[in-house]
Amino acid sequence: MTSETTGFLYPFIDSDERDSSSLLADLGTSAEAKAVQSRQLQAATLDRFAEQIAEITDEMAARFAAGARLFTFGNGGSATDAASFAALFTRPPWGRPLPARSLVADEATLTALGNDVGFELVFSRQLIAHSRANDIAVGFSTSGNSDNVIRAFGEAHRRELLTVGLAGHDGGEMATCGDVDQCLVVRSDSVHRIQETQDAVALVLWAGVQAIVESKGDR
Amino acid sequence: MSPSSGTVLGTVAGDLATASLDMARRFAAGATMWCAAPQWPSHAQHLAVEFVHPVIVGKRALPAVAVEGGDLVSMLRIVSSSGDLFVAVAGADEPAVGAAMRRAPAWGLRSIWIGTGARPAAGAADHVLWLDADIAESAYGGGFVLVYHLLWELTHVCFEHPGLLSIPAVGDAEECHDEVCITCSDEGRLAEVITTGPGSHARVRTSAGVEAIDTTLIGTPQPGDLVLVHAGSAVTTIEG
Repeated sequence: MTSETTGFLYPFIDSDERDSSSLLADLGTSAEAKAVQSRQLQAATLDRFAEQIAEITDEMAARFAAGARLFTFGNGGSATDAASFAALFTRPPWGRPLPARSLVADEATLTALGNDVGFELVFSRQLIAHSRANDIAVGFSTSGNSDNVIRAFGEAHRRELLTVGLAGHDGGEMATCGDVDQCLVVRSDSVHRIQETQDAVALVLWAGVQAIVESKGDR
Repeated sequence: MSPSSGTVLGTVAGDLATASLDMARRFAAGATMWCAAPQWPSHAQHLAVEFVHPVIVGKRALPAVAVEGGDLVSMLRIVSSSGDLFVAVAGADEPAVGAAMRRAPAWGLRSIWIGTGARPAAGAADHVLWLDADIAESAYGGGFVLVYHLLWELTHVCFEHPGLLSIPAVGDAEECHDEVCITCSDEGRLAEVITTGPGSHARVRTSAGVEAIDTTLIGTPQPGDLVLVHAGSAVTTIEG
């Protein structure tokens, strides 16, 4: 991989490397540095969106009080974040359970729609079947450009759901499509750091809704 | 997560480093990574998809599977092979994960346990990555996600060091850093009973494969029991 004359410049790609101690030290330092970046991005994002998060939690709590259901969606790691967010509402670590469902959860429905009408419609078609005007749609996409997420927001917006989007990078289409009532863009180019901060935002959204629901005690 | 130490990760940073190198070595040797999170199934899926479909184009796809549903122990017993990895995201008191972790050495699995709150007993897994943080923050606020994102990122850094990817031979200093090293000392090896009989004999699974042993010293064990095997005999039963 390296020539004899330049090999000393690249000790890390040397296949003769035998001592793992310097690699382990580098890995530990790198892990801490990334964790610090993650923590700073979370803090900066939550700070930047404080007002918007308060608006969203007020609106979500009002809709839940009027019988709303929450639908969540996303792809890949964002699908699992969507599932976690729904689980937070239905099986909360504390507080009151609220009706929520991940549109990724049912593999029969997901594959039926993907196979028959196209993967870009797997979430929007479920919203057509399930949603009512007062409901809430929360979609996750680190690029902001996932076609099925954008299509789902289009359908949700037409059907007068509250639409909340969690995006990353520059927000992509989610930020510009006009179908997302509240779009929270995590300004980072790292998919991993974006997801970690989206989860922190999601937890704050849930806790905010819980706090309002608890204080009203109307269910 | 460990604010008192002035860092975000505290000692978890070093734990992540050693776990990642171990994982990279096992993957390089052909391991599959089995992921479980009975309390939060989406974490098992998220962990697996990171490795199977990397977010960074060009990084190699690695075999990782979320193990879900009913009986984790029965499932892992049948799908896993010696040399594989088992990663759990779970509290220390999660019974199915505890049972699977206790059997991991008999099945030949390297185990990694990610969690928060009260720690598992010392030695409960090969690598314990334990956050000092609130359960909601860890499970839903990005804490666990950060840990396995870092595990993925560091594992791929290790792949850039091919000279360090061979698994240390039994007896190497790197492998035998503890007072007791069960692979090279006189300690018994952990085994799981598959079938019993005839007489005082049993077939057991160990990290080396299926072996026939003598059970005179422990009476008749039941299939699924964990026993310590020394010189071809079960010397004691371990609570599984």
